[in-house]
Amino acid sequence: MDSVREWIRRLWGALHPSRGDRDLEQELQSHLEFAAEEARRRNSDDAARNARVAAGGLSQAMDAVRDQRGVPWLDDMQRDVRYALRGLARNPGFTAVAALTLALGIGVTTAIFSVVYGVLLRPLPYADPDRLMAIFEVNSKGRPVRLAAPNFDDFRAQSRSFQAMAMYTLPYPKSVSGAAQPTRTMVAAVSPDFLSVLGVQPIIGRDFNASDAHKGASPTALVSYGYWRQHLESSHDLSGTHLKIDRTTFSVIGVLPSAFHFPADVDLWLPADLEGESLSRTSHNYSAVARLAEGVTVEQANRDISTIARRIHDTSNEQGTSLLVDGRVIPLQDSITGKARSALLLLLGAVGFLLLVACANVANLLLAQAAVRERELAVRSALGAGRGRLIRQFVTEAFLLVLIGGSLGVMGAVWGVDGLVELAPSDLPRLDSIGINVPVLAFACLVSTGVAVGLGALTAVRATSGDLRDDLVNGARGQTGSQRSQRIGRLIVAAQMAITLVLTVGAGLLGRSLMKVLQVNPGFRVDRILSMDVSLPSVDPAAKPGQARFFATLIDRLETIPGVRAVGATCDLPLNGGHPDGLFALLGRNDMPKTMTDLRALFQQQDRLGTADFCVATDGYFKALAIPLMRGRVFDPRDDADAPHVAVITQALARDRWPNQDPIGRTIEFGNMDGDLRPLTIIGIVGDTHEYGLDVPPRPTVYVSLFQRPRAAMSLTMLTDADTQQVTSAARGILKQLDAEIPATFRTFSQVYSASLGSRRFNVILIGFFGITALVLAMTGVFGVMAYSVSRRRREIGVRLALGAARGDILRMILSQGMRTIAIGVATGIGGALALTRTVGSLLFGVTPTDPLTFAGVTLFLVSTALVACYLPARRATRVDPMVALRDG
Amino acid sequence: VANKEPAKADVLHGTLDLMLLQTVAALGPLHGYSIAARLEQVSGGALQINMGTLYPGLMRLEQRGLVRSEWSVTETSRKARFYTITAAGRRQLAAEKAEWARMTAIMHTLLHNLG
Repeated sequence: MDSVREWIRRLWGALHPSRGDRDLEQELQSHLEFAAEEARRRNSDDAARNARVAAGGLSQAMDAVRDQRGVPWLDDMQRDVRYALRGLARNPGFTAVAALTLALGIGVTTAIFSVVYGVLLRPLPYADPDRLMAIFEVNSKGRPVRLAAPNFDDFRAQSRSFQAMAMYTLPYPKSVSGAAQPTRTMVAAVSPDFLSVLGVQPIIGRDFNASDAHKGASPTALVSYGYWRQHLESSHDLSGTHLKIDRTTFSVIGVLPSAFHFPADVDLWLPADLEGESLSRTSHNYSAVARLAEGVTVEQANRDISTIARRIHDTSNEQGTSLLVDGRVIPLQDSITGKARSALLLLLGAVGFLLLVACANVANLLLAQAAVRERELAVRSALGAGRGRLIRQFVTEAFLLVLIGGSLGVMGAVWGVDGLVELAPSDLPRLDSIGINVPVLAFACLVSTGVAVGLGALTAVRATSGDLRDDLVNGARGQTGSQRSQRIGRLIVAAQMAITLVLTVGAGLLGRSLMKVLQVNPGFRVDRILSMDVSLPSVDPAAKPGQARFFATLIDRLETIPGVRAVGATCDLPLNGGHPDGLFALLGRNDMPKTMTDLRALFQQQDRLGTADFCVATDGYFKALAIPLMRGRVFDPRDDADAPHVAVITQALARDRWPNQDPIGRTIEFGNMDGDLRPLTIIGIVGDTHEYGLDVPPRPTVYVSLFQRPRAAMSLTMLTDADTQQVTSAARGILKQLDAEIPATFRTFSQVYSASLGSRRFNVILIGFFGITALVLAMTGVFGVMAYSVSRRRREIGVRLALGAARGDILRMILSQGMRTIAIGVATGIGGALALTRTVGSLLFGVTPTDPLTFAGVTLFLVSTALVACYLPARRATRVDPMVALRDG
Repeated sequence: VANKEPAKADVLHGTLDLMLLQTVAALGPLHGYSIAARLEQVSGGALQINMGTLYPGLMRLEQRGLVRSEWSVTETSRKARFYTITAAGRRQLAAEKAEWARMTAIMHTLLHNLG
């Protein structure tokens, strides 16, 4: 009890020194006076001095009392912090470089960790997420695949490892009307217990129940929070809310929580059984999610499911390669993050490495700093500062540096994570759960603390090893230890240079590829094009002529919008995934296939076959996108539904299939693309277009007319001089007049163009970022090591100068020493880059992995930057005053 | 600045508190110097306690609530801080005295009867 009270008072004393130093000193003074008085009484000569000797020194006693008064380390810490702050402020350049280096390292690590945490580690936002499992069939190739409905039913009925099991389809797009605006929305069909397996409740309304899934039940739907906010006006009364999908009306019965995104991107959930269940054991239509029963492990569940799966395999009458051979249970979180895991961990490893390099640099800087302060350390040591005390001083400085650097870094990370999420490939799962949150901040603190302790301890032990008091006497210190640490420092710098070179070469190659890609002529106009995706309800094949009429009217009306110069339509926009492709057959004059048998016979004759992409378009499409007509003609009003069907082909097809011949007038059979067996007569040749991406060669393509071969989903392309917003709203109005239930999506073609370069740009930015970070670190590394070396060699430089060396000689000497290290690094780096760039060969376009221009440019750039980093310390070396250097060491 | 000089203080640690408490308890309010002088006198010069030991010890006792102190004036009209034992201090003193007696008795028995 007493000692507890003592420590409370000590703490209090440390924070509120009620008995101030003056009070203590007065007490001690009075003690000395009493002693002197008594000594005088005994007739001593030098009474005051004797008294002091007898009583012990005043200042030492003061220290001892002070220690008893407060908490010694707390007091010391205050003093250390004050002292360290003074030190950092005295050297703003050093402080800035060290803090920014740490900020870079900690910031980048934090940013990447936030992604890793959000995607891989953060628990799924469902009840007891670690009990949730995904269930797969295993196919004959040993790969997990989705489930066939009867297999799912058997798993659910026969397994004993799960509390509950639900199934759901992959998301698919549907035209949804009935809300404020018709939309193209991702829909998933789920079994009625889907939400209860996940442990999620609608925030408004009710969950599905078993009767919603019965045949003949009135159709119901659940909507996402986002859809509800955006399209249902956040209405809390759902009783009158209905949505129409393919002419079926669904009552909206509930709204899901805002954090619920499963399966990803879905805004509308429908009960699965209404979809019409397939009885085949080989149609893999469903995914399954299940909750483990109490006390069951993943392994037990796996064995359970595997047994059932093998039994199905052995007894089913649907034998063949599509039938399952086994079953597998995987934790749901792993199944969602599966593919991203290794890439993200690799990335985290890479930034962890950058952080280490940053630390090595700062350690070098701190050592250089410590070398300058050697004398000061020696003096403090002589005045009685213990080694522990000096070490604590170093650790305090390191903590302050890390505090500054870490705060800057975390601030940078907060800003950078948004950019990272924006840039990240959209197939990265769980993007919405990435952010700077408490666990990420805790991680940043942990990393920073580790860095601070490591840096402080390393520097302190290095700087205070050996007897500092000897240094004061000798004015120099043994060189062996410092030479070893300098060698390590140089090794680190050379390694950094090598890594930087590899990364920068990689970034250079990818960057040059991107530039080459941008130089490719796509074969069509990119600017001033506004596209409008329209999907008609696709229920009835007999509706096809209606679809053609609808689009014809729509195109006519769109052409009347002020500022719109041309309107066309295509089934697939270029750079947006490409067209379907297939086999076509060349027809002679008299062999029109009348039956399927004729057709099959035709496709047996290899010499009559050809391969091409198939695209439905209108004449306006070529005009709007400025795809040039090479020969013949494009579609015109003569080519209506009743006229002979015609086709326009691309130069690539003409070249491939009819070299040195004229394809115009020839007839082909391409009916397997849209089921229409009527032959197509070639009427014209147009220029090639890069449909699949600028870096993919143009493909042979057959264009057919929308008015002869109608389709439900088309992209309308408008060439416009007017403001995009105005044209968009005018077009929306026109569509609404024609049919209020059809949704449209608008994009400018520049967006499509830019998105098609997305992953290439992401790669350049990512590796470029790593390259720049590595470059900055390597340069601070060079700077730190050279500064350390120069401060170590001041005495030697002083001697050289005193013996008549010119300042230029000193500059050359230091520079050449630095350049040796750099040369080793660069040489290693070139070797590494030559070996490694081959692996990114598939990402390159128009440059070889050993592109001499890139290699030379990057090497020149790195060496010259490194020269600058060497020059600054070297210049300081030339300013050494020989007198001062020789006197002070 | 050195604050960890354990050798001297630790040897005295256990007994110093007891000596200080006993002196203050027996002789009433005393200032630091007279406590040290009294201890030196009683021990025949064997105990010379310097300021660096004495005052931290007194402060420790005060922090534990065993003594309290205030500035006052001596007979010779000098200002000094006087230490007085508290009720808790008397209890602690009694307990430590008993413990000390028990310990010395054990040591006495040990040293004389096992010889």
